[in-house]
Amino acid sequence: MLFLAMWTGDIMFANAYELIVFILNFIGIYEPINNIFKTLGIEYILRIIIVFAEIAVLLVFALLTIMFLTWMERKVVAMVQARYGPMVTGPRGLLQPVMDGVKLIGKEDIIPAKADRWVFTLAPFLVFIPALLIFIPLPFGESLIISDLKVGLLYLIAISALSPIAILLAGWSSNNKYSLMGAMRAVAQDISYTIPLALSAIAIVLFTGSLSTVDIVTAQNGTWFGFIPKWFIFLQPLGFILFLIASIAEMGRIPFDFQESEQELVAGFFTEYSGIKFAMFFLAEYAHLFSVSAIVVTLFLGGWSFPYLSLLPAAVVPLISLGVFLVKTYAVIFFAMWLRHTVPRVRIDQLLNLGWKIMIPLALLNLLVTGFLLTIGVFQ
Amino acid sequence: MTWITRNWTMSGIIKGLIVTMKHMLRVGNRPTVTIQYPYQKMKVSPRFRGLHAVDENACIGCGICEVNCPNGTIQIVKYKTRWYPQVNIGMCLFCGLCVDVCPMNAMKMTGNYELADYSRESLVYGPDRLLFNKEVKQ
Amino acid sequence: MKTDELLINMGPVHPSTHGVLRFKLTMDGEIIRNCEIVMGYLHRGTEKLGEMKTYMQFVPYTDRLDYMSAFANNYAYVKAVEELAGIEVPLRAEYIRVLTLELNRIVNHLVMIGSLLLDLGASTMIMYGFRERENALALFDMLCGARMTFNYIKPGGVREDMPEGFIPKLNEFINDMDKRIDDYEQLVSGNEIFMGRMKGIGVMSAQDAINYGMTGPSLRGHGVNYDIRKLEPYSVYPDLDFKVCVRNECDSFARYMVRIDEMRESLHILRQVVDAMPPAKPASQAKYGIAPMTGAPTAVSTYFPRIFTPPPGEVYSRIEAPKGELGFYIVSDGTIKPYRIKIRSPSFCNLTAIPKMVEGLMIPDLIAAFGTIDVVLGDVDR
Repeated sequence: MLFLAMWTGDIMFANAYELIVFILNFIGIYEPINNIFKTLGIEYILRIIIVFAEIAVLLVFALLTIMFLTWMERKVVAMVQARYGPMVTGPRGLLQPVMDGVKLIGKEDIIPAKADRWVFTLAPFLVFIPALLIFIPLPFGESLIISDLKVGLLYLIAISALSPIAILLAGWSSNNKYSLMGAMRAVAQDISYTIPLALSAIAIVLFTGSLSTVDIVTAQNGTWFGFIPKWFIFLQPLGFILFLIASIAEMGRIPFDFQESEQELVAGFFTEYSGIKFAMFFLAEYAHLFSVSAIVVTLFLGGWSFPYLSLLPAAVVPLISLGVFLVKTYAVIFFAMWLRHTVPRVRIDQLLNLGWKIMIPLALLNLLVTGFLLTIGVFQ
Repeated sequence: MTWITRNWTMSGIIKGLIVTMKHMLRVGNRPTVTIQYPYQKMKVSPRFRGLHAVDENACIGCGICEVNCPNGTIQIVKYKTRWYPQVNIGMCLFCGLCVDVCPMNAMKMTGNYELADYSRESLVYGPDRLLFNKEVKQ
Repeated sequence: MKTDELLINMGPVHPSTHGVLRFKLTMDGEIIRNCEIVMGYLHRGTEKLGEMKTYMQFVPYTDRLDYMSAFANNYAYVKAVEELAGIEVPLRAEYIRVLTLELNRIVNHLVMIGSLLLDLGASTMIMYGFRERENALALFDMLCGARMTFNYIKPGGVREDMPEGFIPKLNEFINDMDKRIDDYEQLVSGNEIFMGRMKGIGVMSAQDAINYGMTGPSLRGHGVNYDIRKLEPYSVYPDLDFKVCVRNECDSFARYMVRIDEMRESLHILRQVVDAMPPAKPASQAKYGIAPMTGAPTAVSTYFPRIFTPPPGEVYSRIEAPKGELGFYIVSDGTIKPYRIKIRSPSFCNLTAIPKMVEGLMIPDLIAAFGTIDVVLGDVDR
């Protein structure tokens, strides 16, 4: 009966937990297990187990994605530069990230003699954990969300604002001038670009009236005139461009990769890191790449929604929507990689000028115009 | 003031993106040019200056190559009752002067460029490894 | 609040100092207050080595000065020796020399533009530059059997005549290059970020540039029409039609654009050289003998004396190398070895202008200005 209801598309779950419970129910093993725990009086244990399973799935997904992204980056740059890229390990070099990981783990973990040991060791974890935390309110597909926070967007912006602290810790504790300069640059950049990022995201919130990422995605369901998808990119073109530039800066990639700026500051804030700690910075960078692209897709490109997706049987919608979401995200990632290998890096003062003198006024103007048009009821 | 005010349309960046996309799609004579070295090898020209080779019958062991070598790479050593050059590849510039000055045209350079080895001693190529016999080959 | 100036040692091991160069930077935050160049990490005593070797033996060592344009070094030294001894060179040999020199200029500028863009963070251009350079190196390999250290231009001519099928391949390269340079221009020259990084950066007045002894494309970016190919014509350059590329903006962008223009101009020269190439003929006998232009693999010993003793005297001869004025000063005492060799290398003189250029700029600007000066550390330290 439930299955029939789902097939006709009446049921949509608030998050992945409920989806798992539903599937367990559907197979028919949820009740017996739950009864066992109930008789023992510890039914919260079952909830914890399910949540842990979700986290495990997410972690594996994140790590696989990161590994794939490192491979993809190398392949994209190789294609741009008329090369092959990694070809030896695995088919088309697909296992290269594994070999890289093995190599990095096997390397000596050097802590400079004059470094602040504890902070130096702590910094990679502080960079890596927020990069994973960002995945929590991301709607990967219909019902495929770890937790639909009421303040999801705020959470995303807050968590991504954590990384400059960790970068500053890393740069300071290394006791290296290049590291310190890289960290200072990263902090200046992150602070000045979080503002236009948040301001152009708020313009979206004016439309949806909710900070929840699921609400933002569902608001983009449907079409205008039957063929233009109701994505916010068409309502907010200026906001989209601002958000895209700010999020590329947030990812820390060329043309805005000041935290590293390899040719100027050797490797920026992780100059002194080696081995597994370096790997954690590296993983965090790619986790950021994925999550920030996912946020761009969620806010402006309709998330997992796609025109006429609702016509499909409801049972396959979670999977199809996951596919739609990944395709869109990888398109944004591809754009970021393509841009990275085309343009040079801007200078730090040019970057700050751009952020404070152009992007923030434009974002405020965008917000003003959007609010004005909404108030007089143009978009009703 | 900043780079973005130079051209609001960013047409230069878009042009650049088009060029890189053309390369990515390999449009219009922009092929992959990598040669995957250990599996594929580049063709070197017939004039390539690689490892030396000495004609066993032509060489008279006069030592002009030894004198003319800028680095003192070549030494004339005794081998099978006759005198032949011995080349220390580790010091060689591969300039080809020894080939140029040889009065008997006995010395030549082959296309062999994979000369890395595990010890300095094995880089010294004695006559046993340099000599070739023209009459047998042709 | 008390603030301190920061002393940064940039190099000798740093991604964008093109080798082992060291900048001692006194920084006020991100602003460079003082820049001191420390060089000599690659000093190999080439000038002294030249006094230990015979005239022929020193030619391979000149390859190692500016390894990006080894033909120019070869030729500059050989030209000095020829002037010292009064050697006549057959016309075909001169044409082949000019061909190699101009091809080498293109290669050098490709590497320069590529590494400049790499220093700015755009990693693609260097790959495109090296792709075309690879084609040129294949031509060099065909011509003289080596890809970077040629030892091809010799007193009295060149080592060997052009091989069969060289000219068709060269024509292919020239026609290919035209489209490639258009690609570079589209990818790089119009890029707003690139212009923002280059325009108005590393500005130096023409007078200052002359006072610092800058030469070559770096000087021509300052609006000074100074090209030894025109001022003191050598080889067959008087017969060729080419113009000197000059830009007036005095900044990094002008210095970059001069390189692009020069590549096009070099292609123009190459086309003329291919058209005007005299046919091969057997060796004629001049004072010291002449390089065999028959294409037969004859050893040099058949035309060049084993014991070469130029008359006592001194000579300074200079050419327009891709990086600037490259001069060799040779004193001969009539023996088989030169008494003294002094090399006036373009990279060294151009490099000394950097501190003046970057005062009050930032590290990224230092790198941009340094990239447009186009130095090779082998040439700086000799």
